[in-house]
Amino acid sequence: MTGTIAIAPVVVALVAGTTTLLARRWPRLQQTVSIGSALAYAYSVALLVRTVVFAPDGAAIAYQLGGWHAPFGITLVADALAVFMLAMTAIVAVYAVIFSVRFIEAANQRVYYHPLFHFLLLGVTGAFLTGDLFNLFVWFEVMLMASYVFVSFYGNSEHTAAAVRYVVLNVVGSALMLLGIGGLYATTGTLNMADMAQQLAQPGVDIRPVVGLSAFVFVTFALKAGLAPFQFWVPSAYRSAPIPIVAIFVGATKKVGIYAIIRLYFTVFGTANVTVAAPGITGRSPLVLLAPVLLTVGVLSVLVGGFGAVTRDSLDGLFAYSSIGQLGFVVIPLGIAAAAPSESLRQSGILAALVFALHHALTKSVLFFSTGVIRDATGTTRLSELGGIGKRSPAFAGVFLVGGLSLIGIPPLAGFFGKLFVFNAAARQFAAATSGDIAATGSALAILLVLLLGAVLTVLYSTRAWMGSVWGHETEAVAMGTIDRVEVTVLATLAVVVVVVGVGFEPVYHFADAAARAAIDTEAYTEAVGVGGG
Amino acid sequence: MTTVIMRTTARVVVPIILVVAISLFLQGHNLPGGGFIGGVLTVVAFTLVYVSYNLDYLEIGVLDRDVDPSRAIGEHRTVATYRRLFMFGLGVIVASGLAGPVFGEAFLSQAFVVIHLPLFGAVELASALLFDVGIFCVVVGGLLTIFSVVGAE
Repeated sequence: MTGTIAIAPVVVALVAGTTTLLARRWPRLQQTVSIGSALAYAYSVALLVRTVVFAPDGAAIAYQLGGWHAPFGITLVADALAVFMLAMTAIVAVYAVIFSVRFIEAANQRVYYHPLFHFLLLGVTGAFLTGDLFNLFVWFEVMLMASYVFVSFYGNSEHTAAAVRYVVLNVVGSALMLLGIGGLYATTGTLNMADMAQQLAQPGVDIRPVVGLSAFVFVTFALKAGLAPFQFWVPSAYRSAPIPIVAIFVGATKKVGIYAIIRLYFTVFGTANVTVAAPGITGRSPLVLLAPVLLTVGVLSVLVGGFGAVTRDSLDGLFAYSSIGQLGFVVIPLGIAAAAPSESLRQSGILAALVFALHHALTKSVLFFSTGVIRDATGTTRLSELGGIGKRSPAFAGVFLVGGLSLIGIPPLAGFFGKLFVFNAAARQFAAATSGDIAATGSALAILLVLLLGAVLTVLYSTRAWMGSVWGHETEAVAMGTIDRVEVTVLATLAVVVVVVGVGFEPVYHFADAAARAAIDTEAYTEAVGVGGG
Repeated sequence: MTTVIMRTTARVVVPIILVVAISLFLQGHNLPGGGFIGGVLTVVAFTLVYVSYNLDYLEIGVLDRDVDPSRAIGEHRTVATYRRLFMFGLGVIVASGLAGPVFGEAFLSQAFVVIHLPLFGAVELASALLFDVGIFCVVVGGLLTIFSVVGAE
């Protein structure tokens, strides 16, 4: 059976969820199985990465589930874009599991923590791999079911309130998505994404309903990604969920929204031919319509996230708002890519978004885990009650510094390349726009300025987090607590990963570039799925 | 809700619901129906018993066992059984999915044989039924756990 490797991460996560559930009575065994499965997951993803991207004859792999062939059955497609996302998820997941075993109280770990963790991972993995629109919806639901439990995990009134908000928003989102998918099925007659791309590329197809219906789906993706103006649920949900899970939310679940936008719009709708004649925008692809939406959403997110983070008084609230802003940095280059007139600018826009997403997943995990260490030691995350941790644990301060500097974008850390590519894409768009009319030049300049403002805000709130917790006088809460050495050691290795991604950037660039190329290469995608030419 | 009318209706309706549930469950791989809908209908039958009698009736009245009122509902024997049923179902689903790769087929692929039995004639035995058993157990176990725990609060 060819392409079995493509399904390996899904099966590993599924088996892991089931076995940890069965091993519930033996906590030690359960933890061992959980960590072992996470490592097995990472290994299967690594194999997949090697086969798809780094092998000399690397190409996208498709797996026809249950032997039913596309476009009738459900196809799993592992192309460079999907495995890039999986690799990111795998790194965060391994650290989250190891950190959980140490961080979450033993009694709480026994309350179905590990099974739910692996089912969350299963949902994320499935969403990245599936090549079927309805199946994407199903994986979203799998992911959400586990997330609901995690948001209300500690069960106090504030957690329950956050969970209710989260559930209501996501149920509305799911309903809209289902409506959109139903409409797309009714208009194109297929749910298989590759098949849909082909149907839409044919001349004479009326694509206007598709463009309208896809707005429903877009809203849900933006909701999942926590982009402004759909960011309401983010701060309260992040403060309620267990911290290792927040790392998964930031590193994986949010990225599912971003991935879905890239996959659906750039790969599937990108080839469609439609004459757009809305005021101010003209072009021959649905992407042209998407561009102003993405740019607006991105600019809003950068501003809301940045200003929100600067004004928060607790570490977890600060980082929650910061992750809204950072997602803006992912979406703005996507908007630039959507508006791009040339193939090369489009590719570099997606490349920038992917590199930034990777950086954000790693860096924010470091910072959220650090918040966890602080809360574990002192029992609080309020900046007013913290201070002087640097004196107590220089090692921890070092890790926190790496996270903070990477967030700001200091070379040679991962964050530097993230910011570099985003600004590169924005600058290239500005250069291309200066030859055009005054409106285009103005908007390109505005985007550049917003990015700059966002970067300045990042410096501001990172400094605030650092000054408030690591420097300054040792407060009572800090003096009473002890920093857990094992947690810091685990964190230090993750900080090393952040440095390594920055220093040894060459293969990462190669990987992200392959992913960006895969995102816009619809032909290769349909060929891999096996509906090409039909 | 525990009126005489309710109880009498439940007595008549519950067996009918269960029979319909089983028939839907058995035809699932060829016709509308299947593990999920069969499981949900079964849960409806159980819930009707819970609503028209009470939460302990199943244990005391049907199974003839004692109930220790001081224990939380989550530790009752019926609820523990529901939980085990859920886990068993999940195990069956994973195993039946993995059976495909073991025989060199795709994950989740299914097969069937037609056998001839006296009286019944040709009977189709599909491996999809095994997968459906898993789903049925997960649905019944999961939903009944939720209903009895939430119902007790």
